[in-house]
Amino acid sequence: MKPGHATGATYPPWPRWWRMVLIALCTLILCSCQAARQNVPTSSSAVPPPALPQQAFTGAPQGYPGVFVDPMTGAAGPTPAPGVAADGMTAAPLPASPVGPWAPPGLRRDPWPQDEYLSDGGDAVPHASVGQEWEINGLNVEDTVAHFDTVDGRRIVTPSNRLCIYSPRFRSVRQVVGLRQNEQRDPWAGVHQPLKLVRHEDVTIAATSKQQVQLEAEIGRDLPGMYRSKQGDGAMSTVNGPVAFQDRLLPFEAPLAIGQGVVQESEMAWLTHGTTAAIAWSGAQPVQVFIDRTRAAAEVGDRRLDVVYTIKERKASPKLRVIKLASTQFAAPGETIDFTLRFDNVGDEVIGNVTVVDNLTTRLEYVPQSAQCSVPAQFSTEPNEADSLALRWEIADSLPAGQGGIIRFRCRVR
Amino acid sequence: MAVVLCLWLAGPLGAQQPPVHYWHHGSMPPGAIGSVQLQRGGPLPGFFQPLQIKAPPGVAISPAEEGGFRELHAAPVTLGLLIGQVYRVRVMNIPMNPGLEVFPTIEVIDRLYAPPGREQQFPIVVQLTMEDLRFALDGKFVTRVIYLEDPQQAVPFQDDPYRQGWFEVGPGKDPLAVADHLGRPVAILRMGARLPKNGAAPDMDFLFGCPPLVKYVPSEQAPQTPAQDETPQPPAPQKAPADAVRQALYRPWR
Repeated sequence: MKPGHATGATYPPWPRWWRMVLIALCTLILCSCQAARQNVPTSSSAVPPPALPQQAFTGAPQGYPGVFVDPMTGAAGPTPAPGVAADGMTAAPLPASPVGPWAPPGLRRDPWPQDEYLSDGGDAVPHASVGQEWEINGLNVEDTVAHFDTVDGRRIVTPSNRLCIYSPRFRSVRQVVGLRQNEQRDPWAGVHQPLKLVRHEDVTIAATSKQQVQLEAEIGRDLPGMYRSKQGDGAMSTVNGPVAFQDRLLPFEAPLAIGQGVVQESEMAWLTHGTTAAIAWSGAQPVQVFIDRTRAAAEVGDRRLDVVYTIKERKASPKLRVIKLASTQFAAPGETIDFTLRFDNVGDEVIGNVTVVDNLTTRLEYVPQSAQCSVPAQFSTEPNEADSLALRWEIADSLPAGQGGIIRFRCRVR
Repeated sequence: MAVVLCLWLAGPLGAQQPPVHYWHHGSMPPGAIGSVQLQRGGPLPGFFQPLQIKAPPGVAISPAEEGGFRELHAAPVTLGLLIGQVYRVRVMNIPMNPGLEVFPTIEVIDRLYAPPGREQQFPIVVQLTMEDLRFALDGKFVTRVIYLEDPQQAVPFQDDPYRQGWFEVGPGKDPLAVADHLGRPVAILRMGARLPKNGAAPDMDFLFGCPPLVKYVPSEQAPQTPAQDETPQPPAPQKAPADAVRQALYRPWR
């Protein structure tokens, strides 16, 4: 018996705090478990048919069009709002971009299922490059790129934007067995699957999304320290002060900041008001500054009071813009889609050997004799690894700055 | 403590499971796979997934509703079905098999994410071929796992719009696992082996409780042309279906 215990009861082998901790852990584990929802129809014939769920929706046509956001350019059509069916119930929202960050509520797939969309255009990894003999390396299925030569001998590859067309296609896997083998599969054993922990994990991951709003950057005021450093000795401050002006300080000028070059907290609201007014200047209103007979560009920020005037030397910047459009965003197998490629020299010098290549995906079949080009070009096709075709347009003439062309072709959805 | 440690370690491992059905077998009882799919979470409960049933010309289809088979309609028919529920369908007027009928089940195990307003334009397509119907009438059990084809692994051929392409797996293989490799399984068709009790009232066990469904009015039905390997069949003789049933044929959806 331990000293201090007057009774003759046996002393528990574990300390009291340890038992309490164990009971608390067991209680926590039991409370965290949840029963599996059995949606399998039961064998009882007395079970009434399940009622229509409250959140059920019928998939009726919604009142807004489905417009996608271009993942490459970010150009967007009407913003898809949450759909409301005719019966007033909420319908499934449209993914703004099939590969974008949006996902249906509760969807835990990674990545977001893209198998309902046909993609065409862009330049997927590995990126395409052009060799010395104009052979294209790294051209993936679905890529659409253009390459050209510059005056200084460079060879540049430019991708188009990416198109996503909703076109699901279904196939099936069939198995035919005898009746005896099927009967062996009938028992309910094995229906229970230990997937309940997945639901448990779903609840515990929302903490990271609270870190997205950070206003600390707007609260900090680093600049006043820099302006305080301008405080020289008394003599320099006197020289730099507006002593020669007729009206020493105008009403909108802060006495310390404008008069002495010292920025203090007491004048921040005053300075902010004046700075905002300065930012609103436009056109001929701001001060015109010329350096060596060249007009300088003014860099005005909303967090600084000074204005920096610079002159940037003009450099050659060859650029080719390729825009790809499709006639529809929805297509069933067997339907045709018209594609349009618009290419423009948006640089400031002439470019040559402009070549546009569209490597069609497996489910897009080029319709023969449907390719057109608004400028003289040599059109050719060659089979690709996806059992489709790679379309190639070699523009015959060089492309001056500001000039462009249009390419059209038609594909049938397999 | 060991139990607590195992549970704590097993949580993250369970969350990393891929969205496939490798733990299930395609020959599991109707409703088992769909119910487990609902437990995985996601926007599945309460969604009526449009599904179109295609069949050879002349075949009439009637889904189970309100405790029985109410109306017969000419194929193709488009229904909105709940995910995870099992729907019994009555198929009658099978060409060259007068008076015979089969009762397949359809189980939707995943949904599509069609743009709003396009759900009915792009339904899941379940096709009853003449060969499948013959197998079912001969006592075989036909399982078709319909999957959404991965466009990156798509078969580079133009499908016959009146005949869905499929792969065949032999007995002992798992059609669900094969479909998982080829794409995303969305529905399972099981046909054969079950008939209702003769002369008895509609059995809710046989009808899987008649879960709610939505009927879609066909805007324009595709022209019915036979597949290349199927000979056009004459319509059923006068005695089948019965006059009352035949009068109900070809009625538009409500």
